[in-house]
Amino acid sequence: MKQFFFKIYMIAFMALTVFFIAIIWKVTFAHIIEEHHERTESQEIAKYKEEQVEKSKKTTFEKIILESDERVKHYLGYRILEEARIEGHFHHIGFDIGPDNRSYCVKCHGDMPHDAVKELRAFLNMHAFFVGCQTCHVKLEKTETTGVYKWYDRKTGDIVESPVKDNTPGTYNSKLIPFEKVDGKLVRVDSDERIEFAEEYRAHEKSLTEAQKSRAKKLIHKVVSKKPYLCEDCHQKEKPILPFEAIGYSKERIDSITSTEVVGMIKNYTQFYMPSMLQPGSSNDKK
Amino acid sequence: MKALPRASRLIALFCFSVFLLISFTFTPSYAADVGNCLLCHKYPGISRVDEEGKLRLFYVNESIFSNSVHAKVKCEGCHTDIKKIPHDVAKKVDCLVECHIIEPSSEKKFSHKDVKEFLGKSVHGPIDKEGKEKKYIEDYPTCKDCHDNPLYRPLSFFKKVRPGISEASLGRCRVCHKKEEFIYRFYNHVTTRLHKSRNPLNIAEVCARCHDNPEIVARHEMSTKAVFSYGETFHGKAARFLDERVPDCLDCHISKGESVHQMLPKEDPASSIHADNKGKICTNIDCHPSASPKLAKYSVHAEFNLKQSPAQYFFTVFFIILTGGTLLPLMFIILLDIIRRFFPNATIGRRK
Amino acid sequence: MEKYPLIKIKDGEKFFYRFTHNQRIQHIILAVSVVVLVLTGMPLKFHDAAWAPYLYALFGGIHYAPVIHKVFGAILVALFAYHVVYLTYVIHKFSILPLKKKEGLTTMKVLKAIATQPLVPNLKDAKDIGQLMKYLFYVTNVRPRGDNFTWKEKFDYWAPFWGMLIIGGTGLIMWNKELATMIMPGELLNFSIIAHSDEALLAALFLFIWHWYNVHFSISVFPMGTVFITGYMSEELMSEEHYDHYVKIMTEAGLEHEILPPHGGQEDESTEEGGASS
Repeated sequence: MKQFFFKIYMIAFMALTVFFIAIIWKVTFAHIIEEHHERTESQEIAKYKEEQVEKSKKTTFEKIILESDERVKHYLGYRILEEARIEGHFHHIGFDIGPDNRSYCVKCHGDMPHDAVKELRAFLNMHAFFVGCQTCHVKLEKTETTGVYKWYDRKTGDIVESPVKDNTPGTYNSKLIPFEKVDGKLVRVDSDERIEFAEEYRAHEKSLTEAQKSRAKKLIHKVVSKKPYLCEDCHQKEKPILPFEAIGYSKERIDSITSTEVVGMIKNYTQFYMPSMLQPGSSNDKK
Repeated sequence: MKALPRASRLIALFCFSVFLLISFTFTPSYAADVGNCLLCHKYPGISRVDEEGKLRLFYVNESIFSNSVHAKVKCEGCHTDIKKIPHDVAKKVDCLVECHIIEPSSEKKFSHKDVKEFLGKSVHGPIDKEGKEKKYIEDYPTCKDCHDNPLYRPLSFFKKVRPGISEASLGRCRVCHKKEEFIYRFYNHVTTRLHKSRNPLNIAEVCARCHDNPEIVARHEMSTKAVFSYGETFHGKAARFLDERVPDCLDCHISKGESVHQMLPKEDPASSIHADNKGKICTNIDCHPSASPKLAKYSVHAEFNLKQSPAQYFFTVFFIILTGGTLLPLMFIILLDIIRRFFPNATIGRRK
Repeated sequence: MEKYPLIKIKDGEKFFYRFTHNQRIQHIILAVSVVVLVLTGMPLKFHDAAWAPYLYALFGGIHYAPVIHKVFGAILVALFAYHVVYLTYVIHKFSILPLKKKEGLTTMKVLKAIATQPLVPNLKDAKDIGQLMKYLFYVTNVRPRGDNFTWKEKFDYWAPFWGMLIIGGTGLIMWNKELATMIMPGELLNFSIIAHSDEALLAALFLFIWHWYNVHFSISVFPMGTVFITGYMSEELMSEEHYDHYVKIMTEAGLEHEILPPHGGQEDESTEEGGASS
């Protein structure tokens, strides 16, 4: 028995020795070799430096996708403020909110999908941050309408308690989703079946013909209504689409978002910009 | 407010990461937001992707903003083109604009114009002495390349237990001053200025964005990835472990008492790193006052690089070969020894 | 001599005296301070590694770890100084003085006396290494018959000796950089840092792998050789590593008839074990 354990022990130690050989190699001779390569590499960089300006222009995709993940920690002494760094951004963000893993819309349209109307897009994206796409872009038939809206966790996709009361406005880790009635049952609009269908389409997109593609897209977007709900559909005192109290808004918050200040501003906007938004070929149709 | 005692700060750094939602208890009721801009801009989702594919975020975190040096400046003070709500697409902020703040000593309107002047004359200025544009002008920094909104880093001298604002000190302020907002801001302003407004590691990170970028280093024919080589010195390593007492880039590259925007190339006789002045850097009264000027001959930015510092390169290579040459054979002996013990009698030759 | 007999017999097993009290205490001080120095030094060398901040925080982070490092560094330097004095004293007392009494001193004779000290590498070590290679590559089944101190132990002694000279010296320079640069140029600090940290890595890896393998992890000593605590080595180990010396001591003690045969393999060992205990 003792012999056996010793054998196991020796084999393990052998592995450890090999591991250490590798490490020692890495910190010694490999280091010299690495330095040599680095030097030749930097000489190459120097050689091509004239072309660098050209080169830096074409890498926008990389710049956006890869470099936007940069993070900073500000050491303020009494606290450490960690946040994402956006190049050239002056104000601090101060917290992180993870990506929306549930929504199948953002997989194609991105999480800042509104870009058609210059003056409005930021507003619409601001809402898209905590309001699911379907809340505005799906108008249910009379028989399907339930008037039920619930919050789902961005990370897990599960229905959660309303985050409105405990958080600063808009800084929620969850999004609002409408519910519809299917065969008398209450089902969330972004049902698992719909997600599955969209996922499958994305997986097979490359092998489909143009006709098949457009048919699949039609099916995916079938639930989307031509004209979305507009700002004043919710920002009003009388009959807002969203049941504010039921989704966790306090009296003050309801008053605030339906105040004359907000409603008045929306009116201004509608006057100036809304006409262009409702023209054909704008963001809603793309959606 | 998170109180972080010094010794555990490192541990805290790791426990304390992703989800830190606003935890300031000191959020004075004072609001610079006269125009009610936060009505919309308090929503973090207020953002878009611009024509060049860049993310534009218009969110302002109020509690962090009110703990920044600009807290008293109204939004319109910098975003001067915004006069009405709803507003059109806003222009880029010009940091040199005269804002509504009155500078108390001169009683003139405040502006960052001097900084631009300093920067223009410095090694980072985009125009050379003959008035011509320097090569690769787009590499030269502008305000926001180094600065985001500077945050207060208040000190506390009352007890050494935790950094941050000392209640006891605030109490002493209250003896004479009545306005809470004034007390809070004054305390923050003064104590932030008493030490580095950014921790050495944060400063190094800012410089590293350009000075460790291999393309920029190659384009401007710099001899070193400066922050990398600084990071290999004791000062750099200590900065990495969040020591506040060690010198960062600015401490050596700026003559003491001058604006950090006045950084000069080493050829300039007025530069702190000019051969004639270099000795004074280390022997500074706050650093190594008893040292001789020879200490400054220590090459901070020496890299393991044959071209840049050959003597150090070969010295290192000697030790590397010594290490590898000693350890690797010994390691193989251990390995063979273990294997040999499995087969104690497996001799090829005859037994003695 | 009575307190520490050369061969101690306990429960029928023989143990051989190797290290004096003084030497063992020196070794413990050396061991403890080296471990602390490595633990407080390596996080700085590998400051980019994920484990570095945690290990450093354990020693109080950047505010306290350097202080601890200096304290233990000072202990080690003091130990080194003491050891050099001790070594000189021992050589003087046990080699030079008898020589002086017997034959009188000449430079050549003194040098010869020093060169024949038991820890000085000699031709026998080269032979032993050759024999070990033969053994490791299955040419023979016989392990090298080590003398009082084998080549491994000499390595274990001289590597830290040279290491302490380099690391201690450069450490003192960096500690007192103000003073050091009064005399020497500032570039010296660059070289000091390189030498200090690279030599430290060599020493640490050497001790924790090679030395620890030989005295802890090797199958013949596992889990731990006791000689560094008790000063006595078991007969089994003695005959495995120091066979020539073992034979010499046994002969001097008049125990020729009890000398174990030399061995290489484990199989032999187990039978011998049985033989010794019976």
